[in-house]
Amino acid sequence: MQGYTQRIREAAKRLLAEKKVDVVMGFRKGTIPFMNEPFLAKSPEQVDQLLWDGNCGINLANYLSGRKDRIGIVAKGCDSRNIVVHLLEYQIKREQLYILGAPCHGMIDGRRITEELAGKEPLQVEEENGRIRVSGKGFEESFDRKQYLQENCAICMHRNPVVYDELVGDLVEEQRDVDRYADVREVEGLSPEAKWKYFEDLIAPCIRCYACRNACPVCYCPTCFVDESRPQWVGKTVDPTDTRTFHFLRAYHVAGRCTDCGACERACPVGIKMRQFTKKLEKDIKEMYGYEAGVDPESRPPLDTYRPDDPRDFAK
Amino acid sequence: MSEIYIAKDKFPSVLGQLMGKCPVFGPVLQGKFHEFGRLERPEDVDLGYGNTRLSPKALFHPQAEKMFDFSLSKGDPEAGILKETPKDFRPRVILGIRPCDARAFQLDDRNFDTDSVRDPWWVRRRETTTLVGLACNTPGSTCFCTSVGTGPFDKTGLDVLMVDVGEGYLFQASTKKGEEFLAGLSAGEAVSGSVAEKADALKKGAEGSMGTQFSVDAIVQNPTLDLFNAAFWDEVQFSCINCGTCTFVCPTCWCFDIQDEVYQEKGSRIRLWDSCMFPLFTFHGSGHNPRSQKLQRVRQRFMHKLKYYPEKYKGGVACVGCGRCVRQCPVNIDIRHVARLMSASCVCPT
Amino acid sequence: MSQWEPKIVAFMCSWSSYPGADYAGLSRLAYPPNIRIIKVPCAGRINPKFILSALRQGADGVWISACHPGDCHYMEGNLYASRKFALMKNFLEHTGIEPGRVHFSWVSATEGHKFAQTAKEVVDSVKALGPARHMIKKEAEVA
Repeated sequence: MQGYTQRIREAAKRLLAEKKVDVVMGFRKGTIPFMNEPFLAKSPEQVDQLLWDGNCGINLANYLSGRKDRIGIVAKGCDSRNIVVHLLEYQIKREQLYILGAPCHGMIDGRRITEELAGKEPLQVEEENGRIRVSGKGFEESFDRKQYLQENCAICMHRNPVVYDELVGDLVEEQRDVDRYADVREVEGLSPEAKWKYFEDLIAPCIRCYACRNACPVCYCPTCFVDESRPQWVGKTVDPTDTRTFHFLRAYHVAGRCTDCGACERACPVGIKMRQFTKKLEKDIKEMYGYEAGVDPESRPPLDTYRPDDPRDFAK
Repeated sequence: MSEIYIAKDKFPSVLGQLMGKCPVFGPVLQGKFHEFGRLERPEDVDLGYGNTRLSPKALFHPQAEKMFDFSLSKGDPEAGILKETPKDFRPRVILGIRPCDARAFQLDDRNFDTDSVRDPWWVRRRETTTLVGLACNTPGSTCFCTSVGTGPFDKTGLDVLMVDVGEGYLFQASTKKGEEFLAGLSAGEAVSGSVAEKADALKKGAEGSMGTQFSVDAIVQNPTLDLFNAAFWDEVQFSCINCGTCTFVCPTCWCFDIQDEVYQEKGSRIRLWDSCMFPLFTFHGSGHNPRSQKLQRVRQRFMHKLKYYPEKYKGGVACVGCGRCVRQCPVNIDIRHVARLMSASCVCPT
Repeated sequence: MSQWEPKIVAFMCSWSSYPGADYAGLSRLAYPPNIRIIKVPCAGRINPKFILSALRQGADGVWISACHPGDCHYMEGNLYASRKFALMKNFLEHTGIEPGRVHFSWVSATEGHKFAQTAKEVVDSVKALGPARHMIKKEAEVA
């Protein structure tokens, strides 16, 4: 993936110099391991800060909502799908964008690697030939990249960008035989009480910082339901029922729009696996309405349309 | 001030005796992260930890706390009268807190305990709590306490400093409360010369490994308006997603909101953490929002910690260098980087 | 001690199911009195927040009733509603609300009989489950 960085910089330099775009959105090197910072290059001189590696997990489509300028944007598979969602929801115009497609090899789950290190602090991270080399004071360890991808990346079926103007690397082979919903089915098999308990434990550490909501590219409402006061739908403390209401409605609100980019889980400071909520909705939408979010710029989102033959066996 | 030594093999029983006398809180492994919790058994405490995921501020300033309860029942003669919610103010010990986090409480005192305003609950909890800190022998890579006026062995915020010297712990009292605490411990031994030497070497090693990452003085000397209008904020703010993570994990972020929650015929007045990162934080009833833009909110957080606070209280910045926001920020906004930007433009008097 | 009776919040389309309830009354049809009707201009108006809000305030069950497919006063509001409801119902049940607490029906303005019959079915189904146990906000459980 070293080549990506070079090609992103070349393209960004060219686009800015030719004034095809006003800014280029990408990543620059982070200050801590497993972390890069979203970065907006505004001039050709800033372009050399742009880079690409396995720590560019934040979804850049999040920064597009409501922008008026012309933007060059580096987009992996999920970013590109969220660009499609933005286009469908009129958050950005296609002609504003010059998409630098980055075929993705999956993003690294730095937390899991840090756990494996059992207290040793990672200081340097390098990727090479499918391995992740992590070193710190007095140690160096190597991990198989494939085994330490973010959970959503491990089951991703759209690693190649679905829309782009130019690629910064060769297209990758898409994963085919992936069981995306093994975990959802497991919960489906539980009793109602066990299901309630499962989600209660899942969200127990929540501190209501809203990092999951704010990291999400499809959460751009001018006023979120948690901030509405007349009526106040949900209390603002860490009361378990309020926390449940927040997570439930947040997930429901992204139904049919969520691309499983994993930004929410990545952002969560207390490690909540909130994709367990959104994946159920994703599965149902796929099964009932045959829809996948952000794949087709032509078809309407599932809650914005209907078909005469929709399953309605629940209705009396 | 007095000091004692307790061997590690005797420590659990000492702790057990202490727990018999008063509630003891300490770092406990909860799931994948350490948090401060009430110790049920001596073995619950994990003093081999780096630092807790969340800061211990919730022990004094809970994320959500009922202040008052009230009834709205029509027949109730006391309907509509606020009654203080009972709280637990028993004397307690917080064991194993890091010196930086303890120092943070002193910085917060300047907000909660002033000549003109005293927060009764904060003040009582501070009075009834003995802080027994654990020195950091190996500070983490995101720690920068020595750059902001505290340190891995800083005693200023503590009643007692504990140093892990390998076979046992050295306890050094630095307040009257700390003296009393040590006097109440049973298995204390006199401190030998070698233990004192070892602790001293650990202190030098820890402090030496950190260095100074930016100059607080330079920020303080920079004119406020120059900083306020500086061009770098635009670059700093770009990646911010305006979540409340940095403020919620921060030991010195004390801002709160007050909400009334009503359920049928009764209700409570609740105090809960708020965050200057949220647009609602400054949203006026009129519909005007003086900090409606992300840039304004991001700038406010750093300016408050590193510029307004030292200007107002003349006693150091409102940051203790624990590094939690650095590690937890989902988009890698690093306060050390911002502080360097804020100090760099300064033309210091020679 | 008096026997427990469920409270059910019913969101009814003002063009079909609400007049359907009227028609049941006009026809002197008996149906269980556990239902609190909230009239909405169209089933498509029902935000999932409404359902959650009813449960949070202690409703033991929720019933949504709309125009038959093809009969919507606004052409298609009921069909959007049915998609929204299908996902919502599955999602509630996936996260621990028992199947049988939330219901959906098509009842037209002339179907007094169907209204009374469905009301009975909804109430029986909720009664069988007993009082709601989850999602109820009684007071803030905080420090």
